[in-house]
Amino acid sequence: MRLLVVEDDKDLNRQIVRALEQSGYAVDRAFDGEEGCHLGETEPYDAVVLDIGLPKKDGVTILEEWRAAGRDMPVLILTARDRWSDKVQGFDAGADDYVSKPFHMEEVLARIRALLRRATGHATNEIVCGAVRLDTKAGRVVVDGAPVKLTSHEYRLLAYLMHHSGRVVSRSEIIEHLYDQDFDRDSNTVEVFVGRLRKKLGVDLIQTVRGLGYMAAASAKDAGEKR
Amino acid sequence: MRLPIGSIRSIAARLFLTAAAMSLVVLLIASILLTAYYRSEAEEVFERRLDVYLRAIVADVSESGQEGRTGPGQLGDPQFELPGSGWYWQITRLDDKSHEIKASRSLFAGMLPKLSDLGVPAEVGGFRRGYALGPDGRRLRIVERVIDVGDVGIYLVQVAGSGEEMEEQIGRFRFALIVAFGALAIALAIGAAFQVRFGLRPLRQLQRELASIRRGERERIMGNYPSEVAPLADELNLLISANRDILERARTQVGNLAHALKTPLSVIVNEADAAPGQLAQKVQEQAQIMRDQISFYLDRARAAARGGALGAATPVAPSIDALLRAFSKIYGDTGVIFSGGADPLLRFLGERQDLEEMIGNLLDNAGKWAKSRVTIDVSVDSGETASRPALRVIIDDDGPGLAPHLRATATQRGRRLDETKPGSGLGLSIVVDLAAAYGGSLQLNDSPSGGLRAELQLPGF
Repeated sequence: MRLLVVEDDKDLNRQIVRALEQSGYAVDRAFDGEEGCHLGETEPYDAVVLDIGLPKKDGVTILEEWRAAGRDMPVLILTARDRWSDKVQGFDAGADDYVSKPFHMEEVLARIRALLRRATGHATNEIVCGAVRLDTKAGRVVVDGAPVKLTSHEYRLLAYLMHHSGRVVSRSEIIEHLYDQDFDRDSNTVEVFVGRLRKKLGVDLIQTVRGLGYMAAASAKDAGEKR
Repeated sequence: MRLPIGSIRSIAARLFLTAAAMSLVVLLIASILLTAYYRSEAEEVFERRLDVYLRAIVADVSESGQEGRTGPGQLGDPQFELPGSGWYWQITRLDDKSHEIKASRSLFAGMLPKLSDLGVPAEVGGFRRGYALGPDGRRLRIVERVIDVGDVGIYLVQVAGSGEEMEEQIGRFRFALIVAFGALAIALAIGAAFQVRFGLRPLRQLQRELASIRRGERERIMGNYPSEVAPLADELNLLISANRDILERARTQVGNLAHALKTPLSVIVNEADAAPGQLAQKVQEQAQIMRDQISFYLDRARAAARGGALGAATPVAPSIDALLRAFSKIYGDTGVIFSGGADPLLRFLGERQDLEEMIGNLLDNAGKWAKSRVTIDVSVDSGETASRPALRVIIDDDGPGLAPHLRATATQRGRRLDETKPGSGLGLSIVVDLAAAYGGSLQLNDSPSGGLRAELQLPGF
């Protein structure tokens, strides 16, 4: 899952990015409205944390431009103005949720999890594909009741595939959504991580769809049929 | 010397007193001049009359000398026949030792004093004129002339008239003048008073308008003023709007400051979250106090801004629609459905932000407790309790509801009945405060759908 954080306060930006990265997301950052608007228009983010009061271009304008351009990723707005009239303005511009400043980081994390879940059609923090259970809140993976230790990149890959289970995900899409801008992208690494995940999980969850990419089976039955 | 009028504080009194003083002076001078003129006219008429009589007697004496008559017969004026009438003539022969005297009957036994004896100098033509005390003790105007009728003799012809009649006439004139001028003075005073009232009316109107602006009944001076006051009214309007701008800027800056503080406060809170310990705990505590202070002063600034919001009418329907859209997103994954709306004609008498704040908080509260549905309905209440038409906003949820004895505490500031539900606990108390600021109210009741019904009464139509 790749996220964008647009916040002009350097410290707050750093805190949010750090918290999101610790939760297993790939995160890009922007410090002003123009940069943030550009990134949101050109990069495929799974969700955006957007401050409303930004230099150069304010959050509401950015949001309106994104929506007008057909960018429909979930957007969480951060706002110091916490009156309902301010929030309503944000929602009408196309926001999906809001967090009022000052906030605790857990609040932002919980809202982002909920937005990602909603965007991919999952009802709870726990995504189940056959024997594999992914707890997005705790960042844990359990296979047949036994916890599995994953590195952050392995976790990101698994989480992305499981959020979009039942759908073929191309290699380039994985790269775009797993790594932040500055990451040195090499398509071979995806194959390496898929191989490691298969080994660690011990079940045939991730299928290779030749020429197209990978898919996490929605249920054990699907997985079985493909086998 | 400073005029006492300078110390009079009222413009009306100044104008009235100066007008009164001016007319008094003008009337006084006019009456003095008029009386003097009238007197000189009257004296001239009197003098001419004496001259006419004198000339008639002189002519008569000349003729009587030639005709062998002595003394004038009739002067045509019965005044000369009545004894002591004040009109006399007297002819005295000067060339004869006998000093024969002829006189009008009115002179009776008396004699007129001779001006030549009194040392009155003669005018051109031998006339002498002057005042002298007559035999009847009255002051007389005497005209005399010496005529030489050749062999008939030399005579001193005198005609005298009492000025009393003239003085009476002048007196009557003066009385009439005083009465007329007195009436005129009163009329002028009334006129001046009316003029002052009429002239100063725009100022009183301006004063009333300013007072109603101060009471918040209107925003600016709107009356149509005469050209002298209009610039003042314009300047006052500019001053009022400048003042309002300054206030608005101050409030905006308070708001900006408060909002700007929230970002660093977020940073502090999150740093403290990340580093547990005594210091972090202290920081959290103090950050919470700062947070409370910020929201307290923001509320104050908003409440102050509300003072100037009179007369604003906000359509209800767009606000409710926007809120329902927002809540459908916020509660999208909880399965709670928000529905309802308002008639597009309904108006709330107040600011949109305040309406949205009240309804937003009530919807949020309902959404936290509802099992599946929250409905909102707005109607106009012109019932017996409301003296003027009021809006009634009803928000129902199908949650667990609230026991009657807990409803009062639910609306208190900072009170949260269930600490497990998210929120600052200020929601309902903000609604109560805002509604009260608009002269409305919030009531909590049982909802027909099983949960809580929040009923908001607000000014509107």
